[in-house]
Amino acid sequence: MRSIIFILGWIMLVLAVLMLLPIATSAVYEETEGLAFAVVAFLSAICGVLLIRTKPATVKFYAKEGLACTALGWIVLSLVGAVPFTLSGEIPSYLDAVFETVSGFTTTGASILRSVEQMSHTTNMWRCFTHWIGGMGILVFLLAVLPMVGGSNMQLMKAESPGPSVGKLVPKVRFTAQLLYGLYVALTILMILLLIAGRMPLYDAICTACGTAGTGGFGIYNDSCASFSPYLQWVITIFMILFGVNFNVYYLIFLRKFRDALRCEELHWYLGIILMAGLLIFRNIAGRFETVEQGLRTVFFQVATIITTTGFSTVDFDLWPTFSKTIIILLMFIGACAGSTGGGTKVSRIAIIGKSFFSYIRSFLHPRAVRKIKFEGKEVETETLRAIFVYYTGVFLIVAVSVLLVSLDGFNFETSFSAVAATFNNIGPGFGMAGPASNYADFSKLSKCVMIFDMLAGRLEVFPVILLLYPRFWREVGMEIYTRRMRSGRGYMDRRRLHNSK
Amino acid sequence: MPEKRRLPTLHIIIVGCGKVGITLVEQLSREGHDITVLDINENVVRNVTELYDVMGITGSGVHMQVLREAGLETADIVISVTGSDEINLLCCTIAKKVGKSLVSIARVRNPEYIEELPYLRQQLGIAMIINPDLEAAREIGRIISRPQARSVNAFAKGHAELVRFTIPMGNVLDGKQILTLDRFFSFGYILCAIERNGEVYIPKGTDSLKAGDDITIMAASRDVNKIFTAIGMRTGSLKSCMIIGGGKTSYYLARQLLDQRMDVRIIESDPKRCDELDALLPGATIINGNGSDEQLLKEEGIDAVEAFIALTGIDEENILMTLYAKRIQGLKTITKINRITFNDVIDDLDLGSVVYPKYICAEEITAYVRARRNSIGSNVETLYHMFDNRVEAIEFHIEKGSPVIGIPLMRLKKKDQLLIACINRNGRILFPRGQDTIEAGDGMIVITKHKGFGDASDILL
Repeated sequence: MRSIIFILGWIMLVLAVLMLLPIATSAVYEETEGLAFAVVAFLSAICGVLLIRTKPATVKFYAKEGLACTALGWIVLSLVGAVPFTLSGEIPSYLDAVFETVSGFTTTGASILRSVEQMSHTTNMWRCFTHWIGGMGILVFLLAVLPMVGGSNMQLMKAESPGPSVGKLVPKVRFTAQLLYGLYVALTILMILLLIAGRMPLYDAICTACGTAGTGGFGIYNDSCASFSPYLQWVITIFMILFGVNFNVYYLIFLRKFRDALRCEELHWYLGIILMAGLLIFRNIAGRFETVEQGLRTVFFQVATIITTTGFSTVDFDLWPTFSKTIIILLMFIGACAGSTGGGTKVSRIAIIGKSFFSYIRSFLHPRAVRKIKFEGKEVETETLRAIFVYYTGVFLIVAVSVLLVSLDGFNFETSFSAVAATFNNIGPGFGMAGPASNYADFSKLSKCVMIFDMLAGRLEVFPVILLLYPRFWREVGMEIYTRRMRSGRGYMDRRRLHNSK
Repeated sequence: MPEKRRLPTLHIIIVGCGKVGITLVEQLSREGHDITVLDINENVVRNVTELYDVMGITGSGVHMQVLREAGLETADIVISVTGSDEINLLCCTIAKKVGKSLVSIARVRNPEYIEELPYLRQQLGIAMIINPDLEAAREIGRIISRPQARSVNAFAKGHAELVRFTIPMGNVLDGKQILTLDRFFSFGYILCAIERNGEVYIPKGTDSLKAGDDITIMAASRDVNKIFTAIGMRTGSLKSCMIIGGGKTSYYLARQLLDQRMDVRIIESDPKRCDELDALLPGATIINGNGSDEQLLKEEGIDAVEAFIALTGIDEENILMTLYAKRIQGLKTITKINRITFNDVIDDLDLGSVVYPKYICAEEITAYVRARRNSIGSNVETLYHMFDNRVEAIEFHIEKGSPVIGIPLMRLKKKDQLLIACINRNGRILFPRGQDTIEAGDGMIVITKHKGFGDASDILL
């Protein structure tokens, strides 16, 4: 338990450091909002340092602690990260601020703001920057910078990184995390440069690149990306797709193993799905565009933004015919590749359950045939397979209950369902009231809470958040603390109480 | 504060995660190497990667593709310790063909290969072939040749020895202050560590000894026997022994003991194996029977032998038999423990000497890896773990320019829980006093509770 508190301390300290960016922004634009950030950063840093001082002898994480630490870490991150919004008065309701922050860190991009253009540069920078942090993950960042000797901290990375089976790139967790962040920073900088080359102002370029890199989707204009030039839209489309690719591929490219990189099976599925979905939608709505280029650009921008779960938009796809909208809903659940910054349920999981489905059907023809399911040229371990099925059960349960609760607001089914789908899969815009042209401001407080939960559950892939809601977990935590107090002799009062109750 | 040298990190592939594999992972990952682990059992791989900061790959160590995935091209060392000798040899051969500059270490335990090993090593280009049973047998042999000691480790190319023994009831050392020990020993020595009630101390001069303490003394090899004479313990090697279990270790050990003209009795339950042993070991008495049978042990004269060595494959049986044998006064007992990990409990049991083949094997390999690292920067020559890894005895080679040179030891600002045990100056073993200094070219042996020292300067505060 003390390991968790120690990590939470570091999270608060890192958060304080990260807030220097909006503070710097406010200095550049001479805005007063920076003050709120400075106050929060200062307090957060103090809390962080105090918590770090409780450092246990060994920082060790088993599966249980890893999951709980990740979930708690993200909750702390969101609660603290939301304070400046309310403090500066730009988002008066703290619940709304939390919604906005969670939406930022989980790279959802769903906003309760009716007009982002009225926001200060400082606030907008922080909104976009939360995407960038949340994209690769705060714990992965901690693992990269913290020299934590002894034991394995793989559990932390496993709990935070998306995908059915999280592996390392190099033997040590720390260097793996450093490599991931290195690749992430490099790609982000490349994108900023390309955006600037398209005559985008620096501030806009940084915000847009952060939003794209984390596959987040907070825009800084009310119409998201619709007013950008065709060049910029293409750049954003391509980078959205790039950030939705498994980062292992980039590592292989970095090692100059191009053939291995191209052989990645998940990549084939991913690009195949994008191409298929794009062409189907294009066929469905081709008549609406003046030129083929405009049609392809618009269609692929929306397909990329949905499948990578970014959530930018250049057109109100709520107005598209039902066939196209259904494809979009399906893409929402597929999501990006495992090991990317995107959300959704991940291409590799879809591919594996697809394969196991057909393998099961085949077993009716040849009941005794031995047939293992293979993915990426390797057998899928039974344990992985089981985890995937349990994961989908969890997804189904959460989505079902969430839709039920959100439907209390009385909006139509399309709105309720797509709002849950768009938040759970960390996309942002859904359909109807939650569509690209509107926002989440009109949902009730209960619905907002439900969606905050959905966003966290979706980003952390269900299990860490569910664990926190599992009563038995807390009972065991309580038991552990109690036993330790008794052993250390500090539990005198406890023992007396126990004695009296006998 | 002198600038600390950064130790190079080696990329090591460990094939096979059995007992030795895991022990290696534990030791080498603590020393900061990049380790990739290969095993065909996915559960084992998952376990290891969850416990230690290493990369795990499921697959066979003889598959080129799997080895490449494990990073064979960039690997410095490949260690193959699977259960099969042939896989180990093949794996190392393949590895050697791919990576010209890497070194490979294989575990080979089948006695049939033992004659061919030097030839195989040369032809296949394998740097080190280790036989855990033979190593265990050698260690037991060392213990038998110094029966008073619980364990014996060699330092400074055999010039110095580290002996560990328990102070018997009523011994002259009982209740003596450490400062006064010089009265007994007229030669160079140093008291390195005391273990009392499961705690290990690096002693100070004012501490006193008690009966039942486990003490570790370092002395020049030729003086070791004098220690025991000086405190009134009998010396001289043993004349007869009883070995329970007729496995490979027993075979190697019996061969060695028979060469020393000892009377060897082996109790083995499998009649077929008894026939084999009878053919292989003409001088030994082979008894077909169950070693956990009290009657049998008595009948075969457990009261009449000087050493009892439990070497069956079942740890629990070994421990029980030893506890039984311990009831006989003056019987030297040696127990082999393969698998059990409750080291503290085993320590408390008072089993006499305990031999852990997995540690011996892992230690040998780790020492080789250290030497390898040494050639790129570290100057650790030998390293032993004592008291279940709680204390390390390290031999450093002192190079020119080292910050420890030329300062009288009493003025050297050393870390706590650390002792400079002795200095090897051109093969002469010196036990330094406060005014002595360390010179370039010396071998310095340090006893410490700290972990992960890589350079002589690490001893400084």
